[in-house]
Amino acid sequence: MGKFVQLVVDGLSTGSVYGALALAIVLVHQATGLINFAQGGMAVLSAYVVWVLTNQGLPLIVAILIAIVFSVVFGALVERWLMRRFERGDPDTAVVVTIGLLTLITGVAGWLWTYNNQQFPSLFSLDTVSFLGVSVSVRSLGTTAVIVVAMLLLQGLFVGTKLGLALRAVAINPQSAAFSGLNVGRLLMVGWGLAAALGAVAAVLVAPQLTLTPGMLDNALVYALAAVILGGLTSPIGVVVAAWIIGILENLAAVYVPFIGFDLKVAVPFILIFVVLLVRPQGLFGRKNVVRV
Amino acid sequence: MATSSTNPSSTNPSSTNPASATSVSTSSPATGSAPPLWQRPWARAAGWLLLLVVLAVLPLVMTEFVNETLARIGVFAVAVLGLNVVMGYAGQVSLGQIFFLGVGAYVTAYGVSNEWNIVLVFVLATLLPGLAGLVVAMAAARLGGLAIAMVTIALPIVGVPLAKRLSDYTGGSQGLSARFAEAPEGSGLFDDQWQLYIVLVIGGIVFLLTRSLVRGKYGRAFAIVKGNENVASSMGISPYRYKVLAFTIASLIGGVSGFLYMVVIQYTSPETMSFGHSIELLAAMVIGGAASIVGSILGGAFYVLVPQLTNQVDASLTTLLQGVILLVVLFVLPGGLASLPRVLTRGRRRSGADRGPAASPTTPSSTPGSGTAAEESETERQGHA
Amino acid sequence: MNRHFRSRKTLGIVVASALAVTVTGCGNRDDAGRSGDAAEGAPSPGITDTTVTLGITTPLSGSTAGPGTCTVAGVSAYFGAKNAEGGIEFGDGKTRTVEIEALDDGYDPQQAKANYDQLKDDVFAMTAGLGTPTNRAWRDAAIADEVPQALIMTGDPIFSDTEESPWQLGFVPIYQNEGEAFGELLAASGADHKVAILSQNDDYGEGYVEGFKSAVEGADNIEIVDELTYEATDTSVDAQITELAASEADVIFNAMSLVPLVVSALQKAQQLNWKPSWFLPSNTSSPGAVLEPGGGAAFPGIYSVAFAKAPASPAFAQDEDVVAYLSALKEFGNYPDAPAFPHCQWSWMVGATLEQAFQNMEEPTRDSFMEALRGIEGFQAPLMLPDTSVDTTQDGQPAVSSVVVQKYNGRGYDTVEAFE
Repeated sequence: MGKFVQLVVDGLSTGSVYGALALAIVLVHQATGLINFAQGGMAVLSAYVVWVLTNQGLPLIVAILIAIVFSVVFGALVERWLMRRFERGDPDTAVVVTIGLLTLITGVAGWLWTYNNQQFPSLFSLDTVSFLGVSVSVRSLGTTAVIVVAMLLLQGLFVGTKLGLALRAVAINPQSAAFSGLNVGRLLMVGWGLAAALGAVAAVLVAPQLTLTPGMLDNALVYALAAVILGGLTSPIGVVVAAWIIGILENLAAVYVPFIGFDLKVAVPFILIFVVLLVRPQGLFGRKNVVRV
Repeated sequence: MATSSTNPSSTNPSSTNPASATSVSTSSPATGSAPPLWQRPWARAAGWLLLLVVLAVLPLVMTEFVNETLARIGVFAVAVLGLNVVMGYAGQVSLGQIFFLGVGAYVTAYGVSNEWNIVLVFVLATLLPGLAGLVVAMAAARLGGLAIAMVTIALPIVGVPLAKRLSDYTGGSQGLSARFAEAPEGSGLFDDQWQLYIVLVIGGIVFLLTRSLVRGKYGRAFAIVKGNENVASSMGISPYRYKVLAFTIASLIGGVSGFLYMVVIQYTSPETMSFGHSIELLAAMVIGGAASIVGSILGGAFYVLVPQLTNQVDASLTTLLQGVILLVVLFVLPGGLASLPRVLTRGRRRSGADRGPAASPTTPSSTPGSGTAAEESETERQGHA
Repeated sequence: MNRHFRSRKTLGIVVASALAVTVTGCGNRDDAGRSGDAAEGAPSPGITDTTVTLGITTPLSGSTAGPGTCTVAGVSAYFGAKNAEGGIEFGDGKTRTVEIEALDDGYDPQQAKANYDQLKDDVFAMTAGLGTPTNRAWRDAAIADEVPQALIMTGDPIFSDTEESPWQLGFVPIYQNEGEAFGELLAASGADHKVAILSQNDDYGEGYVEGFKSAVEGADNIEIVDELTYEATDTSVDAQITELAASEADVIFNAMSLVPLVVSALQKAQQLNWKPSWFLPSNTSSPGAVLEPGGGAAFPGIYSVAFAKAPASPAFAQDEDVVAYLSALKEFGNYPDAPAFPHCQWSWMVGATLEQAFQNMEEPTRDSFMEALRGIEGFQAPLMLPDTSVDTTQDGQPAVSSVVVQKYNGRGYDTVEAFE
C-alpha cells in the first residue's frame, strides 16, 4: 500500500511538470489557435536567463521575476514579428514555424551556454516531509502547489475576466472581435506573453531536478501535448488534471502491469487518450466545437 | 557537393522550364489563343524524355558522394511524399510517418538478414507498414482530427521502446546491419550508382503512381474532405473512407521509403524512427511545399542537404543555423519552396499590365501547393490539434 | 487501390517496378568501393608529407552533445599542443602536423553515415566518435572501403573483434568489463549481499548488467533481488527507485549514463531512507557533477570504475599531466569551461594513443596505420590511473580493457581492492 501511495504522489509531481507546460500551450491555443511547439524551448530560454543572473550574484527570486518580465516581452515580440504573418494561413505552416523557432532557440542556447548540464538553484529545499508512510519532497509539493495556483488563475482569467473573454473572442473569430472594438493585435501579443511567462515558471520549477540544458523540456513537451489533447484544448483545469492522470497512471502501469513495464509505460498516456476520445471526442473537459457549414 | 539544382525531379514534365514548376492546370493565364510553350504536348513529351535521359546518365557521371547524397534525398523525398498524401492533400495531421519508414526498414533488414527473396522483402516492407497504417486509421479516423494526431504521435514514441524490446527481430538497441544492395557482377556499376538507380526507379514509380492518384478523382475527394468534412459527406464522399485511404497510402509509401532507406544506409536502429525525425519530416514537407509532388522532392532535399550544409559552415552550430534557415525560408516563401515559381510569376504579373485576377484553381488537386498563406483564406480544419 | 488503375501505362509501370526490384537482389558480389583500390604502398588519402587529417563524426547537438563535444575537444587539444611543438615524427621519418575535421551527426545514424561518406576521401582515418548506433551505421561501409574507424567512444564489443571488424578498434572499456570489475569485487567480499539493478534500456545498460551477472554467477553470497530498467528519454526514475527500495537490497548496481537521472536517483533513495551501497559507471560518477548535488556522502559507499584521473579531484590538482591537459584544452580544444564529462579526458588519451600508432607506422598507408595501432602494449597514456594501461594487442578487447574499482571518499575517489 505504501508503494502504491508513493507512486501516486510521485506521479502527481511528474504530472505537474507536464501540466505546467500544457497550461502554456493551452493559453497560446486559446489566443491564437496554434499549437506552439516552441513552448518548452521558450521556457528553457527564460530559465537560462535566471541561471545567468544568479551566476552574477542576484538572488533567485529577483532573477525569476526579471526572467518572467523577459519572457512576457519575448513572447509578445515573437507573436508580433514572427507568428503574426502565419496566423491567418495554413495551420501546418504555422506549426512548422514554431518548430523552426524551437530549433533556433535550442541552437542559440547551445551556442551561448553549451549543451552541458548546468546546476540550477532550487526554489524549494530538498527536505522531505513524511505523512501516511509516504515521503514527499518539499520540492514536489511546492511544484504541485505552484501549478495548482497557476491553473486556478488561468481558469479564472478565461472565465471571469474581460481579458480572458477578449482572448477567447479573438481566437474564435478575429474579424468579429475586431469589429467589436477589440485590439486584436495587442491581445494576441498578451496571449503569447502570458503563455511564455507560464512556461518560464514551469522551467524554473523543474530545472533543479532535470539540470539545465537546451533540450531540457523536449521530452516533457510530448507529454504536455498528450495532456492538452486529453484534457481538452479549451480547459486549463482539464489539462492539469489530465497531466496528473498521465503521470500517475504511467507509474502505476509500469509497476503493476508487468507486460507494460518501464520501457513501454510511455504507451499509457496514448492508450488513455484513445479510450477517452472514443467516449468524449472533445477531451475530458473540453467544449464541443461547433462549425457551421 | 550536390546542390538542390541537381535534384532528380522525376515527375514533372515542365521541370526543365524554370518559369513553372507547377503541373499544367486549367488555370493557365490565357494571354492569347495558343497555349504557352510548356503546355504544348510535344514540348511536354520532350521534357519527359530529356528528364529520363538526364536521370539515366546522372549516376554515371557524378561522384560517389553526390550519388549517395542524391540517393538519400530520394529516400526522404518518398517519405515526405507519403506524408503529403495524408497531410498535404487529405488534410489529416500525421506525426508518425517516420514510424512507417522505420517498420519498412526493419522488415527489409530482417528479411535480408534471413536471406529471403528480395521481391518478397520489398512486398512485405511495403505491405506490413501499410497494414499497420490501415489498422491505426480505421480505429482513429472516426474520432476526428485530434485522435488521429495523437495516435500518430504515439506511433514513433511507442515504436522506439518496442523496437528495443523485440530485440530478437530488431537487433535491439544495437540495430541491424544488412549489406545487400551491391552492384551485380558484370554490370560495371559501382555500388553507389546501383543504389541510386534503385532509388530513382522505385522512387520514380511511386511518384508517378501518386501523381496519378492525386490528380484523379481520389485527389479531388481528398481535397474536399480536407476542406470541410460535412460538405464532403453531404456530397456523398465518406470522410471516414477517404481518410483511411489516405492514411493507408501514406503508410504504404512510408514502407517503400523504409526499404529504400535500407538500400542506401544499410543499417537501422530504434533511432531511425524517433519522434524528432517525424517533426523534421513535417518541417521538410511544409518547406518543400505541402500538397505538391515537386514539393515532396524539395522537402527531401531540404531534409538531407541542410544538415550537410550547416555542418560545412560550422559543425558546432548546426542547430542554430538550421533554425535560421527554416525560418528564413518560411518567411520568404510561406507556401514552401515549390511555390517559388508561382510567387515569381505572380510578382511578374502584378508588375506587368496583364488583365484578370490571378485565376485560382477550381479543382484544388490539380494545382499543387497550398498557396501563400497570406493570400488564401484560412483553412478550417475540424479538431486540428 | 490498384483496382482502379486500368490503363496500360500504369500496368507497364507496375511490371517495370517488379522487374527493378527483382534485379535488386542480383548483386551479391563484394564490390570494391571506389576509394579502396589504391596501389600497394601508395599513400592513402588524407596524408601528405607534412600533414595528416583525421575525421570525427560525433553528436555536437542534441541531448548527447555534452559528451560529444568533449570527444572532439580532447583530441583536438592534444594534437593542437603537439602541432605547436612542431608536429609528430612518424615511423616513416617524416614530421607531420595533425588536422582534425569534425562533423555533427546529432546522434542520428543516417547522418553519421552521411558524414562518413563526406569525410572518407579527405581523411586518413576516422576516430573518437561517440555512440553505438552512430558508429555501427557506417561500420560495414568502413570495412568495405578499408577506412580505419579507430579508437571510438563506444563500449560495444563488436568493434574490438578483429574478425568482425578488421578496420575498427574501440577505445573505452566494453561495458561488460566495467560491470564485471565491480561484480568480482563484490563477490570476493565474503559477506552476503542483496543486489538491486537499475539499468538503461539499451546496449549500454545491457552490457553492464551482463558483465556484472557473469562475475557474480557462481557466488553464493550474492543474490539479485530485483532488476528494473528505464528509458534514456525518461524525466524521472522515482518509480523505479521506489520499487527497488522495497526490495531492501543493500547494494544497487546502477548502469545509468545520464547525469540528471543519477542525481535524482540518489536524492530519491535518500528521501525513501534507503541507503544501499551504490555502483555507478565511469561516465556518470563525477564528484562535482553528480555526487555532490546528489548527496553521495549519505551512502555507505559509492563505487565506480575508472581508468582516467579526474581533473576536478583535489588529489590530482598538482599532477603535471592534469595541468598540461587542462591548459591545452582551453588553448587548443576550444573548450573554455572545466571538463564536464570524462569523454574530454578519454579523447585526450585517444590523441596520445594515436600518436603512438603514428610513431610506429612505417608507411603512410592505412594498412600500416592499422598494423601499428594493433601493436601497442603497456602504454601508460597521460591521465591514466596507475594499474591501467593501453593494450591494443588483445583480440576482442578495446584499447583500454583494464579498469580499477574506486570508492568515493567524500571529495574524490580512492582505488580500492576490496568491498567494505
